[in-house]
Amino acid sequence: MSQTPERILVIAELQGGRLPPLTLELFTLGKRLADEGAGLLCACVAGYGLADGLEEIACYADEVYGLDHPLLAGFQVDLSGAATKALASSLSPGVILMGHTYDGLELAAQLSGAMGSDLVTDSVHVEQDPVTHRFLCTKEVYGGKAVAIFETETTPAVVTVRPKSHEPAKPRGSKGRVIPFDCVLDPSIARTESVGIMPEQTVDLDTAEVVVAGGRGASSQEAIDRLHDLVAAFGNHFMKAELGVSRPLVDAGLFPRSRQIGQTGERVAPQLYVAVAISGATQHVTGILGAGKIVAINRNKDAPIFDVADYGVVGPLEEVIPAIIGKLEETT
Amino acid sequence: VKPLTVIVCIKDVPDPEGPASAFEIHGDSKKVVPAGIPPVINPFDENALEVGVRLKELHGGKIIALNVSGKAKAAVLKKALSVGADELILLEDQSFEDLSGRSVAAVLSRAIEKIGDYDLILTGRQAADWDSGQVGLLVGQMLQVPAISLGRSVSVENGKVTVEKLRPVGYEVVTAFTPALVTVSSEAGELRLPTIKAMQDARKKPTTVWRAEDIGIDTADLHKRNIRSLSSPPPRSRNCLFAGGSSPAERGENLVIRLREDRII
Repeated sequence: MSQTPERILVIAELQGGRLPPLTLELFTLGKRLADEGAGLLCACVAGYGLADGLEEIACYADEVYGLDHPLLAGFQVDLSGAATKALASSLSPGVILMGHTYDGLELAAQLSGAMGSDLVTDSVHVEQDPVTHRFLCTKEVYGGKAVAIFETETTPAVVTVRPKSHEPAKPRGSKGRVIPFDCVLDPSIARTESVGIMPEQTVDLDTAEVVVAGGRGASSQEAIDRLHDLVAAFGNHFMKAELGVSRPLVDAGLFPRSRQIGQTGERVAPQLYVAVAISGATQHVTGILGAGKIVAINRNKDAPIFDVADYGVVGPLEEVIPAIIGKLEETT
Repeated sequence: VKPLTVIVCIKDVPDPEGPASAFEIHGDSKKVVPAGIPPVINPFDENALEVGVRLKELHGGKIIALNVSGKAKAAVLKKALSVGADELILLEDQSFEDLSGRSVAAVLSRAIEKIGDYDLILTGRQAADWDSGQVGLLVGQMLQVPAISLGRSVSVENGKVTVEKLRPVGYEVVTAFTPALVTVSSEAGELRLPTIKAMQDARKKPTTVWRAEDIGIDTADLHKRNIRSLSSPPPRSRNCLFAGGSSPAERGENLVIRLREDRII
């Protein structure tokens, strides 16, 4: 290997001028890799009017590069990809780390294709083989039924990292250097155009102390009403209770995706998780493993959800939920 | 209305709805071997196929289903023909076994170049086996066509595709000129069931096999999926305490009593 320290490049994000938790988690991973390999932790961020944000990022990285351009004010994958590739080509990092988000995955695939780089997505752990210097990325496969360690063979390797798989980094005592990078972009390379963003009511499952979630067996309007009632009843005992659902109810158009819990939805870690009429497919269970206690309510006593639950109630939700609500309302 | 040519990329996976015990993890061969569960078309690819069939209903035209494998599970993949695909092309070659995502995308891209004239490529958002989610986007990148990810609805008009693309909250409307690629999410809807007549008609539809040499790909350029190890996930099971009681209502009440005793609430 060459004598120059290897660079670990983190693709940072700024949201309203602040670093989101996932970016701080990437810095934790990036710093460990840099420390272990005696390398340099570099960060780059794309946007427009970045000055203050770059100073903030300098609290976490040795080198900070701003891709500052009016065309990067919003995320468009061809433009962000071209700018990031230009920077990565000049830095020659060993690995490029980014969050496993919708935008992150698009950017990762773009970089992988454009640079001929191996890509491992949704990694929960990354290390560098001290002998071969290749990166080893651990990820769940088969919907969480198995765990694989992928070995990348290219330099750089591109890796997307699962949210909440690392602790957020703390600011360092000394700041890194903010290094100017001249970002030249041709607007005609953008192959897609955004014509509007349709917002929905924000659902914050992250901060809920209790999540009551309904599954395929709770798709009738009556059942959905009962789920709401149960959320309200738990809401009287906790700071915040929220309703979640498993994928079938989202695919049926009954709930927005932001309430979906599981592999292709959100991962939640409330104090108490109440799974109602959820059978317990691995793809769902992988999203609730961080829960403090898990209650399962299901009419099928053999449902796999009971295997991962701390408390179980066998019975139809139409009879079980009113009884739970009645008992919750009793003063102790 | 101009008829459309839609290419849908499909692969087979062990039925992801199968119980965890049916997925045997073979650490030596670094493979997950299904035991007693059938292969199915990857459910996310079925969502893509459904989007394709809806577009064909509106615009006319044809759907070509593409699959890459070392040895094709043709019987499973032919389901595509019975729900609306017009042709199944099996990219089948021993050298296509266990390829990396990038190499699968390279094979698909070469085949799509050979097909030549098309309006839209549809893929699932990810496959339920390796859960990688990169092949579709890489195909778009390799073919240098617009690529839009996580579509929940797709429409085509006057040479432009309009996609409702998932965002973490809400969605974004994105347009691009065709030909374009869209990765489809489960929100797009489940694949319809085939009718008896469609199943009979499907037998007359062509299934074509293309080997590596048919698409002019140099097998020396293909890379295998590089897995250092494959193992079972850490145990997740907890000791479930079932609430007692002679009726569901009584069991529900006993749950609350127990949660109070354990100071959960």
